[in-house]
Amino acid sequence: MSASVPLRLESVSKSFGDVQALKPLSLHVRAGEMLALLGPSGCGKTTTLRIIAGFEMPETGSVFIGERDVTELPPNKRALGMVFQNYSLFPHMTVAENIAFGLKMRGVGAADRLARVRQMLGLVRLAQFEDRSVHQLSGGQQQRVALARSLVTDPAILLLDEPLGALDKNLRERMQFELREIQRRLGITSILVTHDQEEALTMSDRVAVMSEGEIVQIGTPTEVYERPRTRFVSEFLGTANIFEGIVKGEAGAGEWTVALDRGGEARLAGDSGLATGRRVSFAVRPERLRIGPPSGSALMAKVQDVVFRGSYYAYELVVAGQDEPVFIYTQSRATVPADGMVGLSWSAQSAILLGERPSP
Amino acid sequence: MSSRALSEPAPPIRTRRSGRFRLARISWTWPALLFLAVFFVVPLGANVLRSVTGPETAAHGIFAYYTKLLTDAYYAGILIETFRVATVTTLVCLLVGYPVSYFMVRYAGRWNGLIVFCLIAPLLTSIIMRTFGWNVLFARRGLFNTWLVQSGLIDRPLDILNQPVMVYIGLVHVLAPFMVLSITSVLQGVDVRLEESARILGAGKIATFLRITLPLSLDGIATGCILVFVLTNGSFLTMLLLGGGKVTTLSLLIYQQFNLTQDVAFAAAMGNVLLLFALVCLALQARFVRREGVKQ
Repeated sequence: MSASVPLRLESVSKSFGDVQALKPLSLHVRAGEMLALLGPSGCGKTTTLRIIAGFEMPETGSVFIGERDVTELPPNKRALGMVFQNYSLFPHMTVAENIAFGLKMRGVGAADRLARVRQMLGLVRLAQFEDRSVHQLSGGQQQRVALARSLVTDPAILLLDEPLGALDKNLRERMQFELREIQRRLGITSILVTHDQEEALTMSDRVAVMSEGEIVQIGTPTEVYERPRTRFVSEFLGTANIFEGIVKGEAGAGEWTVALDRGGEARLAGDSGLATGRRVSFAVRPERLRIGPPSGSALMAKVQDVVFRGSYYAYELVVAGQDEPVFIYTQSRATVPADGMVGLSWSAQSAILLGERPSP
Repeated sequence: MSSRALSEPAPPIRTRRSGRFRLARISWTWPALLFLAVFFVVPLGANVLRSVTGPETAAHGIFAYYTKLLTDAYYAGILIETFRVATVTTLVCLLVGYPVSYFMVRYAGRWNGLIVFCLIAPLLTSIIMRTFGWNVLFARRGLFNTWLVQSGLIDRPLDILNQPVMVYIGLVHVLAPFMVLSITSVLQGVDVRLEESARILGAGKIATFLRITLPLSLDGIATGCILVFVLTNGSFLTMLLLGGGKVTTLSLLIYQQFNLTQDVAFAAAMGNVLLLFALVCLALQARFVRREGVKQ
């Protein structure tokens, strides 16, 4: 296995017709890390991946693999491995022929090819499937063949384009760990493109959240989940309850008191630069909100619905005067009075200040 | 397959109902079957009968006409010529058609509809019109010759119209759309990501084409080739109107036997041999065109 190499994009941009798919974007993927490009469809994550792969030519900027500028190189000269969403296995070849294809293209002899193919089949636990036709495999098995095929040539960078998108939920969760484990073991620098926030958080070392052709936040899964910088990021990374209000003053020890627009007061932690009178919006994750008695709570809300979701209860509540409902996830059922009116509270630490101006 | 086998036997009520429904479906095909019997099977049988009961069969046995066709140097030559014309036309159509198909599927985008229209539109005009069009272009005083003479490339007009190559031009012109449409329909099912996978795995553009695109479009190529081959075998108007009578194929000979020589029994025998050609081609198509595995 060759040593891990970093990947660098420097102000890469791309337009399709009048649409700017990618605003000048710079990205540094560290050697051996798995970086997820996460975002809704049309955010530019796939375009970014296709530029790295060499299927699209960027209008500006350069792509570096290690120290080598590969911007002008065709895909076959970039030493990449790629797993496509539908696996893209060659239907007219057996499992072994599929995996051997990249070696064949590199002029590796038949005996060496067979040895490497068997080694890869062992890695993805498909040893007995060598001579099967790819039609005879299940989705998960096809996915593993695709992975083996992309890794057999010992690529510098592994590109994963929604690799688990076509699998059902249980298999997907298992494959997330399996893929992650193989990637770690080989120490191969990887880019994962996905619109599934859970997949991105589970599998990657760092997550780059993309929106409208640019990276809006990049950080470890914990950072982007716990400290989203914008409303978009907080909403995209799972349900978030957004509250708005005006800073009333400092409450000591890096905490601030905020007068909420819908009545009540709440505390907000962190960020020293908050001036009194400034308008702020902040997010609170559903699992961080607490249902309590009306007295001593920040906000009053009426319970609309309770859903049991297996490992937790999901409450849907309405705050008077606010259109969007508030969601709360709790491990145990809360006591709700007959009129459904309860108090909402949260710790100052779990209120996440959002950078964006609140929308009018 | 196995799941269906497991779910049987179906409940009795359902079986009875579906049985009645099946019966009804078969009865619906009677008009069509009757039509085919009267206008296809009966004439075909009559043609076979005619070929084995003509005047010459009295002296030389019932296969007299077939023996003559296959052993007489002149007729055997025409059989070979027929085969040659069909093979060359098919290959030229393939070489001309494949790039067009590839362009349509991979690059045409929203222009695809227009290209399909341009391919199909000529099929709506009569083959005689299309063939005469070449006369206008390549006649002694036609557009092509006039242009060549005026540009000073040649002194006297060329006699292109009466060359065998004109037959090939005419045939390719008429039949290439069939090749293009056959290949296009299969090529559309070849996911572009398969080609991209090959590229990422280190294959250059040519290797990707030879190892991925071409093998996966073989079904379309086979269908197109067999279609063009059979259609070439069956066409005689192009040979009649172009090439100055220098290319004689079996179908043209049948036309002549019926209309000029009026040797109906011999013409019938030729027709049956040509039909056999077509049936062999169709059997080959059924055997080799699998239509599997292109789409995932």
